[in-house]
Amino acid sequence: MEGFLFWFCGSLMLLGSLMTVTQRSAVVSAVWLIFAFICAAGIFALLNASFLAVMQVLVYAGAIMVLFLFVIMMLQGPELEGERKLLKLPMWPAVAVPPMAIAVMIVGYLQNKGLTQWGPDAPESFGGPNHVAELLLGKYLLAFELISIVLLVALIGALAIGKDERKLPWK
Amino acid sequence: MEITLTHYLLLAAAIFVTGMVGFIVRRNAIVMLMCVELMLSSVNIVFAAFSRFHLDGGGHVFVLMNFAVAAAEAAIGLAILVEIFRRRRTVNVDDLKTLME
Repeated sequence: MEGFLFWFCGSLMLLGSLMTVTQRSAVVSAVWLIFAFICAAGIFALLNASFLAVMQVLVYAGAIMVLFLFVIMMLQGPELEGERKLLKLPMWPAVAVPPMAIAVMIVGYLQNKGLTQWGPDAPESFGGPNHVAELLLGKYLLAFELISIVLLVALIGALAIGKDERKLPWK
Repeated sequence: MEITLTHYLLLAAAIFVTGMVGFIVRRNAIVMLMCVELMLSSVNIVFAAFSRFHLDGGGHVFVLMNFAVAAAEAAIGLAILVEIFRRRRTVNVDDLKTLME
């Protein structure tokens, strides 16, 4: 069962990401990306990370992609001419090297079979909200507080960039 | 065939590579930002897979950190794009080379 679900979610997520990259229209790309993120939530659920699966749908597929779609709505112009010339440039090394890296990973796996088997089954509570909250507000409290400062700085930065320059308080 | 840690790592690598190739070949700055999100998402899968492998919740906490970083990146990146579009009427990165010339 786990095998079927992995191949199902994994192949659909790969399809979604490939379509994101190859679709010419930015809106279609964004919708395929939402599809890929929802499949990623399925992968999280398979990895006993139920809380992360929920947050993936809420934060990624929800909030962040809505932001992207709004901006596309504001900026969408005529199709970009530059993309017609895709892959005519000498960029084949960039496209050829990564699959080779993946091939090396596959060979390494075949030579060390068994090292990456899952250990014992995860306990029932693993990855649930209680478990994550205990870590987030206990062991990793400092990181949790610091990441809120990152978000605050990003918020102020986005406001400062978006605002009319003449109306900024320090002008 | 039994699903092991390597399957998840390979899936994440394939998605990371897809995002990376997209970032290199696309010329629309919005789509390039989406490819960055795709790469961040594949890293999240690696975090969650190793978290399950070691049965240690630390990876889950760092995926949540990654969510926050991705949100900050999207907010700032899109704000910059909107501002560029307001001034230059384009989001094609080939047209944005004033600093290069």
